[in-house]
Amino acid sequence: MTVEPALDARLAPRPDAAAKASGATLYAADLPAPEGLLEVVLVRSPHPRARVVRVSTAEAVAAPGVAAVVTAGDLPDALAGRRVRDMPLLARDVVRFSGEPVAAVLAGTRREAESAAALVEVDYDELPPVLGAERALEGRPGTVHDAPWEYPGAVAGEDAGPNVQSVVAEGDRAGVAEALGRAAHAVSAVYRTPSGQHGYLEPHAWVAVPLAGGRRLRLWGTTKSPYRLRDQIVACLGLDAGAVEIEPVPLGGDFGGKGDVVDASLCAALARHTGRPVRLLLRSAEDLAATDARHPSVIAVRLGCDGSGRFVGLEVDAVFDGGAYAAAKPIPSVNLHGALECALGYRFPVFSLRSRVAYTNTLPKGHMRAPGAPQVVFAVESAVDELAAAGGFEPADLRRRNLLHDGDADAYGHRWPEARGIQTLDAALAAAADAGDGSLAAVGTGVVGTGVAVYARPTPLPQSTSLQLGRLPDGRLEVAVPIPETGTGNHAVVQVQLASALGVAPDTVVVRQVSTGSLPRDPGVGGSRVTVGMSAAVARLAEAWREGGGQGTVSVEVPAGSGAPALAYCAQVARVAVDPETGELRVLAVVTAVDVADIVRPRSHQLQIDGGTVMGFGFASMEDLLEDEGQVWASNLGEFRIPSAADVPALRTVLVTGGRGVGEANVKSVGELANVPTAAAIANAVFDATGVRIRTLPVTAEHLWSALQERAAAAAGAGSLP
Amino acid sequence: MAPAGVPDALEALGAESSVVLAGGTSIGLLLGQALIEPSTLVWLGRIPSLREVAVEDDRIRIGATVTVRELARHPVVRSRLPAVATAAGSVGNPRIRAVATVGGALGHADPRQDLPPALAASGATVEIAGPGGTRRVDVARLATGLMETVVAPDELITGVDIPLPEAARGVYLRFTPASAADWPTVSAAAVSRRGPDGIVTDVSLALGGVGPTVLTVPEAGELKGSVAPSEEDIRAVADAAGRRCDPVADRLGSAAYKRAMAAVWARRALQACLEGAGRS
Amino acid sequence: MRLRFTLNGEPQELDASPTASLTEVLRSLGLTGTKEGCRIGVCGLCTVLVDDLPVSSCLFLAPCAEGRQVWTVEGLARRDPAVVAAFVEHEGMQCGICTPGQVVMASAARSELGAGAAEAEIREYLIGNLCRCTGYQSIVMALGSVVAG
Repeated sequence: MTVEPALDARLAPRPDAAAKASGATLYAADLPAPEGLLEVVLVRSPHPRARVVRVSTAEAVAAPGVAAVVTAGDLPDALAGRRVRDMPLLARDVVRFSGEPVAAVLAGTRREAESAAALVEVDYDELPPVLGAERALEGRPGTVHDAPWEYPGAVAGEDAGPNVQSVVAEGDRAGVAEALGRAAHAVSAVYRTPSGQHGYLEPHAWVAVPLAGGRRLRLWGTTKSPYRLRDQIVACLGLDAGAVEIEPVPLGGDFGGKGDVVDASLCAALARHTGRPVRLLLRSAEDLAATDARHPSVIAVRLGCDGSGRFVGLEVDAVFDGGAYAAAKPIPSVNLHGALECALGYRFPVFSLRSRVAYTNTLPKGHMRAPGAPQVVFAVESAVDELAAAGGFEPADLRRRNLLHDGDADAYGHRWPEARGIQTLDAALAAAADAGDGSLAAVGTGVVGTGVAVYARPTPLPQSTSLQLGRLPDGRLEVAVPIPETGTGNHAVVQVQLASALGVAPDTVVVRQVSTGSLPRDPGVGGSRVTVGMSAAVARLAEAWREGGGQGTVSVEVPAGSGAPALAYCAQVARVAVDPETGELRVLAVVTAVDVADIVRPRSHQLQIDGGTVMGFGFASMEDLLEDEGQVWASNLGEFRIPSAADVPALRTVLVTGGRGVGEANVKSVGELANVPTAAAIANAVFDATGVRIRTLPVTAEHLWSALQERAAAAAGAGSLP
Repeated sequence: MAPAGVPDALEALGAESSVVLAGGTSIGLLLGQALIEPSTLVWLGRIPSLREVAVEDDRIRIGATVTVRELARHPVVRSRLPAVATAAGSVGNPRIRAVATVGGALGHADPRQDLPPALAASGATVEIAGPGGTRRVDVARLATGLMETVVAPDELITGVDIPLPEAARGVYLRFTPASAADWPTVSAAAVSRRGPDGIVTDVSLALGGVGPTVLTVPEAGELKGSVAPSEEDIRAVADAAGRRCDPVADRLGSAAYKRAMAAVWARRALQACLEGAGRS
Repeated sequence: MRLRFTLNGEPQELDASPTASLTEVLRSLGLTGTKEGCRIGVCGLCTVLVDDLPVSSCLFLAPCAEGRQVWTVEGLARRDPAVVAAFVEHEGMQCGICTPGQVVMASAARSELGAGAAEAEIREYLIGNLCRCTGYQSIVMALGSVVAG
């Protein structure tokens, strides 16, 4: 059955808004300290690769307030990870990235723990670090791990070569080569993107409380996937299935970065070791420089078309720097699914993709908002523009000739009953051309240009989850949900859906996250699946509630959904101004067209688009952790710049309505769309403005200035030829 | 400790490893990162004389603990010292400006700061009190290196004295190509003065972010003597600025890029403060 | 050291370390709406008002609050509920971790910016209050409605 939310419910205020705006919402770091709490401060390696010769803790142990200084030898010889368990809780014998925890200092106050941490002396025997994914895959100058294929959950075998976290190869490489040999126009280029951080403003925070002499543990903390995390901690520490309970906490931003398992497992182990509650509050700078980041990439693209502009083949060869551990990557391939989905939007008669993720002695990399997609779509959508230039096509027109039509098969052979790329692209272009609305009419100083890019992403089928509904003493309904409010408005979405399904006012429905002990299962927040997944469960829950006569408490467990996923397109048009004297890039406006079906809660939907676009803008224009020589140089929010209110371009959204979505709510997911094509749209606009092709992100002023200087010098040189 | 007057503050500063605290922005940063461990913090917030702004016919004296926000909003600064007002209004963000002080900004001596180039181009002098009395130093000569100044540990910046010439025009430009919230890659302040006949009588130019200290460009003085200095002469001064600067490479740019940008922004600042020739 | 100041309109007296930040002191009093963010004054999570001006409490040494009026988001939400209402109405938030700081800024913006503030001025005013979720548009609208009264 399709649930169409009532308009008033869709427009109701977010249930958590007033508490958040008045400072009443308690995040993990705000929870009252349990009796006997010990604060944890981690001693981290300054070296990217070294043998740990000796850890001297005596002085720190004797410092005021210190209860314990813990090293790897004090803890179980355990490995943590989401799919691959390859990361120790504290470094044992070797450190593999600068920032890796070597010891944990536990004291009564954070200041005491910090002061004592400075007294822990670690002797290292430095080793030459393995840096740069491409070099790492050649085994130079060594291997980050001795036998990574032996780790639990490893997907790359010994025969995969050195320093391989994951390899996915799809398609027909020889076929592409052959097709490109016959192409009327072809381009081949290499694109590079830097490492970056999710940029959530709430650093990781964990509280672990031991119960029953440490046989059971309760944890509060920054996780978007409590049920999976519970299972991962249990697996890591070899505990009984019921030994760990994750308590509910809202998140201060996620974007893929709050799925970490290592720090939570470490806190669990420290609570067991000391028999006391422990709390780990990462500093912001620590969080930026030592928790999982976005994968840097080097992506080679070859693309060709025939004389009429029809693509004849695409080859993508992506190398991602996975950092020292693969522990933070959650999907079975231990790869980046955004990379694998890079070619869904167009017809390619032949296609080949290779996506390799390397181990290096750098900050471990994880999943960040459409993992892999911003990188690969930057590459492919730039290459499409390069092909347009090579073949004399208008960039939007070249895309229009190749975007899927309803019923077409994508590069993997999957047929999509609905493919609205052309409508979405045209909607973006029409809005951009509409001088009346002013959004793209802004004219900056310098040279101006316009660029376009397109992204297509499948909306997944619901995964198995569970909900419970009961009535509060005040008569309101209370729905117990297994997921935290990560910020996207997912609790508001549940509220709207349930209120609509039951025909009640939204403010009579309370949405409450409950602990992992209270509901049977849930996959967590991620993969743009929450609205779809929750809609299936809410529909089932409403049905059960009505069947039960609206009495007592009803629980539902829903299996993974069947049926067909849907394809959602997002097209963006960027208008930029470049100062030719300085290389300064100003992004004046971005128009985003999104292919939508029904929208459960318009405000949340819009904010996902706005916030996503600004994240894409930041990726394109400024964000860079500046990883070099195995160190993170941009290690605070003053150096790792994310867009401020004064930086962002004018934003305009066009919704291409009427699409066919997925699940009971008939939706297409939106959270990981608008951040993806922005970088290519901006780079393509820079080309339109200046004739300079940007193949490395972010687009810095110096980079652009150098390119403009070189071009001017070349032009002058050409002019002086006899 | 919170002395009630400058003499008490100086006495306190005579003690080993005591540090001056005014608004607390710099000290808060350094303490937060455990970069300093002072035995005594000498807070100047209780010294009324340091909070004063005194306007005379041809000069304005700004007490050391006047905040950057107050400086930016002062009516005389806004009308007579636009380069200083613009620079003060560009410092950090509104919260930083609310607490950061003029004396603290000068004492911190980070070459990326906004105020020093604008003050230097405006001919400001720093008033420094010490055990032996008070001395004055040009703002341009205050810093001796990265976060180092001529102020001795037992001395105290008590104020800044800025001339208020007639018919002056000043601009402050900051180049922040990635994020407006960032430090400037380079910044340029230019101040010109004209006689009653409209002839330019003096031009000064100072740059930030292009060396360990604020860079003044004496060649700017060569632009005086005409109503409308030529584009060519302005470029020559800007190029001299580019040659004089000694930038370090960092995430904001390579040394070569900063040198090139120094020339571009020097020229733009000079052009902006010399345009409208003939009008006073 | 002994520290006396007015907190959310009420007299407050407590012992504080001379090098404690105002963030630490406020959070130790259970006023956790003031968050610990970047600790270098650039993110805005720890914004509070001292004598009616917004400051980064992470850089504000607690002893400097002696004798002054300190308002946190909790107190401002009671004193000035229209600001909270504006953020609710315009949905100037998603995860909410930056929202208390934005609300404190909005409360001060009335006098700092005035009713006629242009959007560009509002954006400049918020330059040190980062938000990773919303793209800022709804925050700017909320702040605009606050200053417009």
